[in-house]
Amino acid sequence: MMATITNLLAFLALGVTLLLVWRQSWRGRVRLFVVQSLLLGALAAAIGALASRPSLLLVAAIFLVMKTWLIPRVLRRMAAGAPLRPVRPGRSAGIPLLVAGALVVVAYVIMLPVSDLASSALPTRGAIPLAFAMALIGLFVCVTGRDALGQVTGFLVFENAIFALGVVTTYGMPGLIEAGVFLEVLVVVLLMEGVVVQMRREHDSLDVDRLQELRG
Amino acid sequence: MIVLLLAVPLSAAALLALAPARAAIVVHALATLVTLAAGLTLGVGAVSGLTAVAFDGVLRVDALSGWMIAVIVVVAGLAAAEAPRYVGEGSPRVFYPLFHLMVFTMLLAVSTDDVGVMWVAVEGTTLASVFLVNFERTRASLEAAYKYLLICSVGIAIAFVGTVLVYYAEAVRQQGVIEHAPHALRWTALLVLAPALSPRVLQLAFVFLVVGYGTKAGLAPMHTWLPDAHSEAPAPVSALMSGVLLSVGAYAILRFKPIVDAAAGPGFARRILVALGLLSLAVAATFLWNPRNFKRMLAYSSVEHIGLVSLGLGFGGGLGVSGALLHVANHGLAKSVVFLLAGRIRAAYGTVELAGVRGLLRGLPVTGRGFALAVVALMGLPPFGLFTSEVMIFAAGFREGHAWAAATALVLLVVAFGGLLRATHAMLFGPAPAMSHAAGGWITTLPMAVALAVLIVTGLAWPPGLGAALDLAARAVVR
Repeated sequence: MMATITNLLAFLALGVTLLLVWRQSWRGRVRLFVVQSLLLGALAAAIGALASRPSLLLVAAIFLVMKTWLIPRVLRRMAAGAPLRPVRPGRSAGIPLLVAGALVVVAYVIMLPVSDLASSALPTRGAIPLAFAMALIGLFVCVTGRDALGQVTGFLVFENAIFALGVVTTYGMPGLIEAGVFLEVLVVVLLMEGVVVQMRREHDSLDVDRLQELRG
Repeated sequence: MIVLLLAVPLSAAALLALAPARAAIVVHALATLVTLAAGLTLGVGAVSGLTAVAFDGVLRVDALSGWMIAVIVVVAGLAAAEAPRYVGEGSPRVFYPLFHLMVFTMLLAVSTDDVGVMWVAVEGTTLASVFLVNFERTRASLEAAYKYLLICSVGIAIAFVGTVLVYYAEAVRQQGVIEHAPHALRWTALLVLAPALSPRVLQLAFVFLVVGYGTKAGLAPMHTWLPDAHSEAPAPVSALMSGVLLSVGAYAILRFKPIVDAAAGPGFARRILVALGLLSLAVAATFLWNPRNFKRMLAYSSVEHIGLVSLGLGFGGGLGVSGALLHVANHGLAKSVVFLLAGRIRAAYGTVELAGVRGLLRGLPVTGRGFALAVVALMGLPPFGLFTSEVMIFAAGFREGHAWAAATALVLLVVAFGGLLRATHAMLFGPAPAMSHAAGGWITTLPMAVALAVLIVTGLAWPPGLGAALDLAARAVVR
């Protein structure tokens, strides 16, 4: 029961992450990020309910408020005035999708031996490689992002995946640490907004290729 | 005492955010002095064997923490004394609170027993310092701040994966049951459990931890944000970042090493640390031969020294770790002095271009001589302490059977030395241009002179107790 639900939710979230790699429009990406967050929040809540960990339910609630409402709001504010499409349109999503697919395989190669350790004790173990695959894809979106918005999205997807990884491997980290993580993600996004606003003023663009004053 | 040490910079940060500009300097000075006194008291107590505990064990200061605390408060004191030069009329409410917040997060990172809280604190150091890197709000500082925030946030998130995996290993140590021991993320608890943890998971966790905390430590190849951030930040912030923040990253790695060693055998962590140390030395040595900007040159010199620290930790043994810890202290003193003086040079010459600075010894006698001495210390020449700690690190390398790695590192060190020598020689001598700005006299240079004097002490004549203190600090992580 628990294994089926967690596997399904993690699998759907991975599918959404792959869609996010394919999707080029910024608004579409924010929407997909919200969907991914909803699925992962549901994942945490399901584990909290089925494994009777009330603290995880609370963490899931905070996660949902932050990732589906607060942070998307900031992201939309950041994008206000940015072109709807990325800086240079016309690049096919074929190769990034192919890389993302390969990363799923890599995630299984790395994480299967680790998740097998839990043998039958951890019903969520099937979701461990899926969560790790999302993390790798998020990292990939982040490092290949051509503008600041793309890189921030990648970072947030990565961060979501790490939250999921924590939930499926350990049923959630201790509350104090989850609280610290939430606070810091929020501060990172707000700081990013400040930087992006200044970047737009200075360069009239968010293209990271224009950031090349510092060399050597 | 731990609570006092942490409460002072934190409440100072809150107070400074609200205080009127005229009161700010007084609060800043008081907070710095109290932090310094509390940190030295606690640190000296800890390295002589008094482990302090607070908040039900969440905060725990052993000899290793005590050593780091002492280094942090001394470097923070040096940087704080120079800070008022950089805080203009309008911005004390930004600079001072963030400065003390950064000191608080670093102190928290080294004085907690909980590796989760340590993670939160290390991430906090980045967040507190982003605005300080972008303090001048130029295009270049904006770029530096953006790279710093993005790369370090991603890096530290990778370290979080490592922490999660350690917690997972702890939960599955008994086949068939998922149950966390009480306080499972406490370092002291992990150390006891370590031999029973899965070697495979711990090895994987260590890779994530080294990449993550190594990004904060500035180890190559994760160092790419470092030269930008350290060169664009105002001098006191550069001093704090280069002098101690990097070492806090290395400290986090050091805390995990005995756990991984106990679970997976000593070879694994050792190989990774030695390889990253050599790579950092190679990257730094290459760059130091062709620097254009003297603050960037100093930043790459930090990559070199953090590489040496990583080598010392990797070579291991009591000698390697105490050599690395002594190197952390020596480098903290020398690098903060040199960055603070570089800030004065920049103000006087109006440039950070290496080609624009000539005749330093004649043009700015006090600053120039101090700069020359500190750079000589950074080159690892006697009589300064960095020579001693480098000898300890290399001796550990040869003794622990890493002769090839140690020999390669020595060659790279000589190359880096040559590059640094060539560049500083050009800055020190030659005709001095007319100065646009006075650089400051003896009084304000006094704290830095004291720091250089301490470096001579750690190089020539160890005061009684230093050897025992280092030994005790190293024994916290060497079994």
